[in-house]
Amino acid sequence: MTLRLPLPRSASYRIAIIGLLFYICALVPLGIGVSYATHAALLNQIDTSITQLSTTLSNEYRTEGAAGVMRVLTRLRSGGPVPQGAALFTADGRMLGGNIDTTLPPLGWQQISLNDPQEGPDPARALVSRLPDGNRLVVAADLEALEAINHTLFGMFGLAALALLVLGTGTALLLARYLHRRLAPITTTADAVIAGNLQHRAEIGHTHDEFDRVANSLNAMLNRVAALVENLRQVSADLAHDLRTPLVGLRNQLERMRGEEDMPLKQARIEHALDRTDEVLALFDAILRIAEVDAGHLTKSFTTIDVSTLLNDLSDSAQAIAEDCAHTFTAHITTGLYVSGDRQLLAQAVLNLLENALRHTPAGTHVALSAMRKGNIIQIDVRDDGPGIPIADHHRVRQRFVRLEASRSTPGHGLGLSLVDAIAQAHAGQLHLVDAQPGLLASLQLPCEIAP
Amino acid sequence: MLKILLAEDDLDTRQFVARGLREHGHNVLAASNGEDALHLALTETLDVIILDRMLPQLDGLSVLKRLRVADITTPVLMLTALGRIEDRVDGLHAGADDYLVKPFAFSELAARVQALARRHIPTSVSTRLHAAGLEMDLLRREVRREGKLIPLQPREFRLLEELLRHAGEFITRTMLLERVWDFHFDPQTKIVETHMSRLRSKLNDGFAEDIIETARGTGYRVRTA
Repeated sequence: MTLRLPLPRSASYRIAIIGLLFYICALVPLGIGVSYATHAALLNQIDTSITQLSTTLSNEYRTEGAAGVMRVLTRLRSGGPVPQGAALFTADGRMLGGNIDTTLPPLGWQQISLNDPQEGPDPARALVSRLPDGNRLVVAADLEALEAINHTLFGMFGLAALALLVLGTGTALLLARYLHRRLAPITTTADAVIAGNLQHRAEIGHTHDEFDRVANSLNAMLNRVAALVENLRQVSADLAHDLRTPLVGLRNQLERMRGEEDMPLKQARIEHALDRTDEVLALFDAILRIAEVDAGHLTKSFTTIDVSTLLNDLSDSAQAIAEDCAHTFTAHITTGLYVSGDRQLLAQAVLNLLENALRHTPAGTHVALSAMRKGNIIQIDVRDDGPGIPIADHHRVRQRFVRLEASRSTPGHGLGLSLVDAIAQAHAGQLHLVDAQPGLLASLQLPCEIAP
Repeated sequence: MLKILLAEDDLDTRQFVARGLREHGHNVLAASNGEDALHLALTETLDVIILDRMLPQLDGLSVLKRLRVADITTPVLMLTALGRIEDRVDGLHAGADDYLVKPFAFSELAARVQALARRHIPTSVSTRLHAAGLEMDLLRREVRREGKLIPLQPREFRLLEELLRHAGEFITRTMLLERVWDFHFDPQTKIVETHMSRLRSKLNDGFAEDIIETARGTGYRVRTA
């Protein structure tokens, strides 16, 4: 059976209890130390005064005899800081006089017991010395003071421990309330999001402490999630639209084929239908390709790629495409550029950028491919002097399916730049779109690798 | 007529492919699991083996490895699932001659099977290729049509070489991307078409007959006279 405390579970109680235990553990040796030091100092003081009195009385005895001793003792009666007294004994233990009630202890420093008429036996410290005529002088001091100090110390430390306990408990309760109050916005937000309200955000205080930072991170995370969800929504809608267009075309072709008697015409319709099917398949291939790149497990098959050779290879093909659509094309590629990556993906990324520049600009546009090393970065630039993209759209064109023509009727599926973006990220690089004035500069930046 | 082993566990795919290949006039042996496929491959004399990567009992890769250990060099076309780049590499390492990503168009499969069967016939190492009045000298990197020298760009030369090596057979766009460009992905561009049209106009310049035949959705081939 476990004992359940009637307290809510809170980390602050644990922290407070552990703290308390630490303080008490620290208090015990402190108490012992203080008590020991006080004892030693007091005992030393007692011994000093006993020695002083003993010397005084011995001198008195030598000059004035027992009567002198008694005179001194009566003067002493008025008491000092340490109540003390003395007695004279013969060597065989018979008391000659004095103001203390005890039997004769052996010579030297002794712990003795004094008989107090009111309080009974009292522990005392005594110095027994031999006088020149063989008698004994006993000087004793009461140790009651020492006991009293012990008592005070014990009480003080007890009180301190009690105060600690009370303060600790109070702190724990306050801390628990404080933590609860500070964590409440985070919990509330999480609960709201779980309940389906993705727009809820945690309130952030003004202290910039840990709690504010956690709330801040939570909000940033939620913003990202919301953006992804929104993107997904957009993608699904666009995907549906992009699929509908070729599928409707396909359906129309099939429908018209059904009643078609003329063989060559029928053949042409079949070709058309196949084209529409290929469009749908190309769309899916592109989506799957991006998903594959995004998944990120390609990195383990990366090798060192000679980018210069790859780009020279590609510019060869770009030249042909450029001539085909009445563009001009130049390439300026530094030799000896290497990156760690996947040749296929890099080729695809650069080819996509080249295609974009060549296909989506008017005839006569000049497209330039250049590659160089800048510090630890290999920069591959595809620049055109066509109409360019408005800066406001630079971010948007990387998103999947975004095409700038509102009609969405031009060929292509709008996945080109998002694929390049995904490939760049898979290679720990970046894709930058810059307004080249005129035209667009697409800059692919990849971390540089040393030659193999 | 080719004798082809088709190892594929999916019934629909198996029936569809087998029927298509038979319509092309081939003799098709079908197996639905790895054990059967291995048994057939070890006992029959085959021209081409079509092997699915994922097969029950014994997976395609293991079948392939055992065949190669048993010194059976029949060309193997590996079928792999979409989006598994590693599978392609594994398959080629294990000794596959070609691979095709599922799902595929039948015409693509038929063209590759044809090409594999051709490749298996040990041709004498030749430095010259000819077909239909075309002559290609691989050493001097020269192409002549009816004796007339036609200057080609390196890429166009590679393209024509690939067509001439398989003269009379269709080579698909994907095969050309793989073999001429080493692109094992669809760049979704008209790169093949562009180069092909340039090659074609250079070859046909001054001649009445188009020497390269295009089959829509299938590919290209050099006519054999």
